[in-house]
Amino acid sequence: MTSRPRLATDVNYVNGIAALALFAVLAYVFVTAGLEPPRGFGEGSIVASIGYAMFDMLELVPDGHGTTEGFLVAFLTIAVVLDAALDGAVMLARRDDEGGSVQAATDGGRPVDGATDATETEATEPAGGDA
Amino acid sequence: MAIVTEYYLLLSAAVFCIGLYGILTRESALLFLMSVELMLNAANINFVAFAFYWGNLTGQVFSLFTMALAAAEVAVGIGIILVLYRNFDGIDVTEAATMRW
Repeated sequence: MTSRPRLATDVNYVNGIAALALFAVLAYVFVTAGLEPPRGFGEGSIVASIGYAMFDMLELVPDGHGTTEGFLVAFLTIAVVLDAALDGAVMLARRDDEGGSVQAATDGGRPVDGATDATETEATEPAGGDA
Repeated sequence: MAIVTEYYLLLSAAVFCIGLYGILTRESALLFLMSVELMLNAANINFVAFAFYWGNLTGQVFSLFTMALAAAEVAVGIGIILVLYRNFDGIDVTEAATMRW
């Protein structure tokens, strides 16, 4: 018994209509905005200019790329935020009731020895709904 | 011959609305995370499109930072989903309706 994804048929269509209405409003605004043709970038490597802008080396950026501000502080802030997110994810995911090394609790979809009730019920649940 | 900016904006609006529909409809926390990612990436498309529109690279650099923030958000989100699965034996977001249990 595989658990391949199936098309959901019990969805709420009112939400779909709401999302479609939002898309219609946005599309109307965008089409009637009267935007000019894009200005585009001048000569020079865009990737290199992104790197220069990220490390505050603005004198190396060509004039056609229009970068007038450095992002070194933002770069370092994002680095700290990523580090904090990694620590937070590890803190959330750690099991504190075992104390020892963290073991992988996956069962691979098969009923195994010592499986909890939740995995048992999940393993047998899709059999009823299978057409 | 460059693609006009309206097409980028329409793509971005479509991706955003797909993400919004996913958030409004789904009950699995993992699909919630995927929908939030769709909405964030719609904003990224706008950043890159308007960077090209104005000939200014700041939008592209900023979209890189948005991607890094999205990665951090997913890391914390998956940690929360792990705790949710441990406490509720499932990742249905409608079951976890209270802050304390």
